[in-house]
Amino acid sequence: MSDEREITLTVNGTEHTIEVEPRRLLVHAIREDLDMTGTHIGCDTGNCGACTVLVDGEPIKSCLMFAAQADGSEILTVEGMEDLPDAGPELHPLQEGFKEEHGLQCGYCTPGMLMAGKALLEENPDPDEAEIRDAISGNLCRCTGYQNIVKAIEYAADELDDAERVAADGGAITADAGGDGGPDPADGPLYEADVGDADTFCGREDCCGGPSTDETHRGEDPPEQFDTEHMGGDEE
Amino acid sequence: MKSAPFEHHEPDTVAEAVSLLESLDEPTLLAGGQSLVPMLRFRLANPDVVVDINGIDSLEYLREEDGYLKLGALARHADVEDSDLIDERYGSFADTAPLVADPQIRNRGTVVGSVAQADPKGDWGSVLIAHDGEVVVEGPDGERAIPADEFFLLPYDTTLGEEELITEARVPTPTEREGSAYHKLKRKTGDYAMAGVAARLRFDDDGRIESAGIAMTAVDITNARAAEAEAALEGERPSPELFEEAGELAAEASNPESDEHGDAAYKERMVDVLAQRALGDAAERAGAVKRRVTQ
Repeated sequence: MSDEREITLTVNGTEHTIEVEPRRLLVHAIREDLDMTGTHIGCDTGNCGACTVLVDGEPIKSCLMFAAQADGSEILTVEGMEDLPDAGPELHPLQEGFKEEHGLQCGYCTPGMLMAGKALLEENPDPDEAEIRDAISGNLCRCTGYQNIVKAIEYAADELDDAERVAADGGAITADAGGDGGPDPADGPLYEADVGDADTFCGREDCCGGPSTDETHRGEDPPEQFDTEHMGGDEE
Repeated sequence: MKSAPFEHHEPDTVAEAVSLLESLDEPTLLAGGQSLVPMLRFRLANPDVVVDINGIDSLEYLREEDGYLKLGALARHADVEDSDLIDERYGSFADTAPLVADPQIRNRGTVVGSVAQADPKGDWGSVLIAHDGEVVVEGPDGERAIPADEFFLLPYDTTLGEEELITEARVPTPTEREGSAYHKLKRKTGDYAMAGVAARLRFDDDGRIESAGIAMTAVDITNARAAEAEAALEGERPSPELFEEAGELAAEASNPESDEHGDAAYKERMVDVLAQRALGDAAERAGAVKRRVTQ
């Protein structure tokens, strides 16, 4: 009964032909057959959204779809984000946003959040907060409380909007291109990555990646204070 | 957990699907899969054969035709959510679609699949009942239409024959003086309803209620009609007092069970409230009353 069949999945622009059993879930095909483990399996029940990928542009939960059903589809996973046309030299503005706005802590939900965010911005380049929250309502995060995820997606929307404006000007530097808080083209590439930037990372081994203006993020704070501040455990 | 192994059939036409249903041994139909796939994986369902209808392009539609709004078996919740036709004329459908599960699930899950699943907590069954809708099925003996009232038997059990496939769900197109709404109480996005009420009101030229439909979600063993509440409305003019009376009658008709979300008395009270709200919206959308100032 385990009649394997050949299917073709175009993942992040690359065509793959694999043999799968009908019961093979799309998420398992992506992770195990194609070895792309950026797509996570969280709850395994269709609740958490960690396995969200885009199939022909639409976000779906890849643990609720058989691989055979995606035969012939175009699939986008988190691994493909940095190569999208609207990505910067190293990261996509959404990924940049999650980094800049501290949109993750453990990072488990992040690939799914990025996919949900990508689908939203594709359809609605200028979403308000309610629309963002609705778009990620099928994705659970148990660390952030969502606030910074919302900010991360807002950041990406702003960046993409600025990039579009610059592109519409033929890439020319105009007087108001950087005047509204957007990146100044004169500073170089729009999405220059600053991994390891001393402004962002305090040097602590357990650096949380938070903004350096944060009281708790100055390197010299003892861990106890860090915990107290963040957990709020003794407030009541 | 992985599903048990199964044979996967992908018919291209309804006729092919029906002949597979006839010839195969206890096949299970797969449409959007947002309920069935987890059931397969938990091995709550262990079919040897799955007939996957996603390749039947002729079932991908949502349109008005012959006096009905028709949803093909592959119309996804998201198709309803994104439809201008739905926004303009079908308030209850427009209310319901964005309240089903979450965006990813709405992209895959189908309205007809949800009806076929016959979960008493499913929303669409109530909408169909309130609209006097029908489920159109195709089987070895041809096509037949099952009134929504007669479709649901028990949780997850319907009058669909073993060799039949639902091709369509349909409701009569509304008149100019008709409006509908759906109100649902749930703890958070993605949850099933703790209680839900679909309401439809059609008015005559005199401004009286000519026909009313009220159906309830998650408060009985199936989606259930509140017939006495409907009868109390018919022939009357809309008023808050009338809707209060209908809400109470709907609550009386409901038969909820206490669970972790609330006890039975609370849910009955919620049916009352949701019914009043849905009726208020339906009347407003029918153009029978001015915008309500309270919620």
